[in-house]
Amino acid sequence: MIALFWISFIVSLVGSALLITQKHAVYALLGLLIAFGASAGVFLSLDAPFIAVSQILIYAGALAVMFLFVLMFTDTRTEEDVGLPGAVGSRAVFDPATGRPSKKKKKKADEEEKKPALSGMVMPKPMAVAVSLALLVCFTATIVTLPSDYNRFGPLPSAYDGINFEGVERSADQIKTDPNLLPFGSTEAVSRTIFEGFPLAFEVVSLLIFAAVLGAVLLARRHLVGIPGTQDVAKESGHA
Amino acid sequence: MPEPKVVLFLAAFLFCCGVYGVLSRRHLIMLLMSLELMLNAINIMLVTFSRHWAGKNHDMLGSHAGQFFTLMVMAVAAAEVGIGLAIIVALYRRKHTADADAATDLKN
Repeated sequence: MIALFWISFIVSLVGSALLITQKHAVYALLGLLIAFGASAGVFLSLDAPFIAVSQILIYAGALAVMFLFVLMFTDTRTEEDVGLPGAVGSRAVFDPATGRPSKKKKKKADEEEKKPALSGMVMPKPMAVAVSLALLVCFTATIVTLPSDYNRFGPLPSAYDGINFEGVERSADQIKTDPNLLPFGSTEAVSRTIFEGFPLAFEVVSLLIFAAVLGAVLLARRHLVGIPGTQDVAKESGHA
Repeated sequence: MPEPKVVLFLAAFLFCCGVYGVLSRRHLIMLLMSLELMLNAINIMLVTFSRHWAGKNHDMLGSHAGQFFTLMVMAVAAAEVGIGLAIIVALYRRKHTADADAATDLKN
């Protein structure tokens, strides 16, 4: 467990460093994926296997694919590539006669090949570094001054401790047959926490996700004549 | 088992990486990714406190509350990313860029 934790520790540091230094958005997404996978390892070493699996399923599975799809829809080049202001002019300039990117862009691509290996990284911004380092110092000071019972984790409540979900102590004979005694962090224990402890929050989250799905469909839809954000798109496709 | 303070430091470091990403990037997708890293750091912190509580109080419902909150954070993060990416796609259709500085229609 301790080896798993330290490996995950180092790998998540590497992943987050990749995320904040890489210029190319797909490489940054790869760093985010590495950090998420390593976080699943941290959860596993903290006796939370169900959370670890749902971390991989939801974050590394669903969210990363969503990010990749939107990267496919949009321009992945960042402001460091095209210079500021990165508004309308930052698009690739296409030559209408040939239907290919114009020579100006090609020349830029040739220049990029000669750049050193560090050219894929973003130059650090001094103010952002100062603010995040100050925040890290504050957090570290808080963590160091935590009381001494945070120096180590206590022993887990095993299924044979004789305390179940209702907080009732059981005798050794009852323990072996009691279905309410569950190991810490198991799927059964987490699901009983959800449905016995916080059922209202569970239902409210389902409502939230429903609203989010509706909103995402409405926002990303095309051909909404009469709504300002989407009308120009309808016009464009009408001409083409 | 790792020490709680080391895990909390890892969470703090990931959170600060996310803060740096949000402050330094202008590409909206990179902003959302850094936000996800911050939420992930919060998840690590919640699971750490959940495990710490389980070692002190052998109360099954109370010690799983942190893990339940982690699941809630995951659900809210998924909803937020869905809406955020839809907004980015809509902005890209209008402005032909995903740069945060391009969204200035409400300025002045």
